[in-house]
Amino acid sequence: MSIGVVHRFRAMGCAVATAGGDRAAVAAVLERWEDTFSLFRPESELSRVNVSPARVLTVSLLFSRTLKTALDVAAETDGLVDPTLCGRWSEVAVCGKLLSRPPGLALDLNGVVKSLAVDEAVAALDGPGFVSVGGDLAVRGPVDVALPRGGATRVVAGGLATSGTASRGAHLLDPATGLPSESPWEQVTASGSSCLAADVAAKVGFLLGGGGPAWLDERGIPGRFVAVDGRIVENGVWAGATRVTQPCT
Amino acid sequence: MRDSRIEQARKRAHNAKTAIGLLTAVVFGVAFVGARVHAPGHAKGKAKSLGAPTSFERAVHRSVAQGGQIAPAEQPPPVASSTS
Repeated sequence: MSIGVVHRFRAMGCAVATAGGDRAAVAAVLERWEDTFSLFRPESELSRVNVSPARVLTVSLLFSRTLKTALDVAAETDGLVDPTLCGRWSEVAVCGKLLSRPPGLALDLNGVVKSLAVDEAVAALDGPGFVSVGGDLAVRGPVDVALPRGGATRVVAGGLATSGTASRGAHLLDPATGLPSESPWEQVTASGSSCLAADVAAKVGFLLGGGGPAWLDERGIPGRFVAVDGRIVENGVWAGATRVTQPCT
Repeated sequence: MRDSRIEQARKRAHNAKTAIGLLTAVVFGVAFVGARVHAPGHAKGKAKSLGAPTSFERAVHRSVAQGGQIAPAEQPPPVASSTS
């Protein structure tokens, strides 16, 4: 099945590739998310929240829903993916459009913002296609995707994301120590039912180190792990899904 | 003569009271309609969400720890997954 022309441009500080929809519509969705959550724009809502000395703030609906998702992810991953980056996510509360957090506690929603933006953008496609931002993608219809260190897989539904140290160095923090993670993996690729699910699974798989493949297997999530020595490990779900069955003779 | 002036004064007072009453009713009516149209506390219709659609949010929330569907690749890939 052909997905048509692939448009490439830059947004959210990353390379974007999309097919199956209006390029401008995808760019507009990504710009809206970046405009609200970029830490590099002083006028973004997240930047203004972080510099505010107030304990309780009124935020936009998009902000409150995104933060709620980030807090849910933190709870589900036992704080491995943490919007405070320092293990204090349980001190943050959001109710409706009201945000409460200890004054001075900065938030970083990068753990969920990019993938949520991809999920919203792919929902707006006209037909079969995909949206990829910085290599994290969601599909509408089957799309073949190249993998780190060679190989490819077909994403039939949901999303695919890769986390690791290959492009930005050791930027993923181990919440137990607050220091860059010393994972045995260089890159972890996971497939989730959405780009958010894939991104969270890839991050957790990376941060759990040797326990990553089993954690994903327990939840039925396909994961592919590239070790620092270049060795490739597929968890059981990934291996089972991508095994090519030979026709009976 | 004196009775006539008192009568005229009473008439003027009555007219003034009527005018003030009518003016008060008109001002109240305008303020009431204005409040219903502009004040956020007065519901004018079903509230519309300013953020992502609820169905989208529900689908994303439900799927935070669910695997996607993958299969063996069949064509040259148009896109790559990588760290950013």
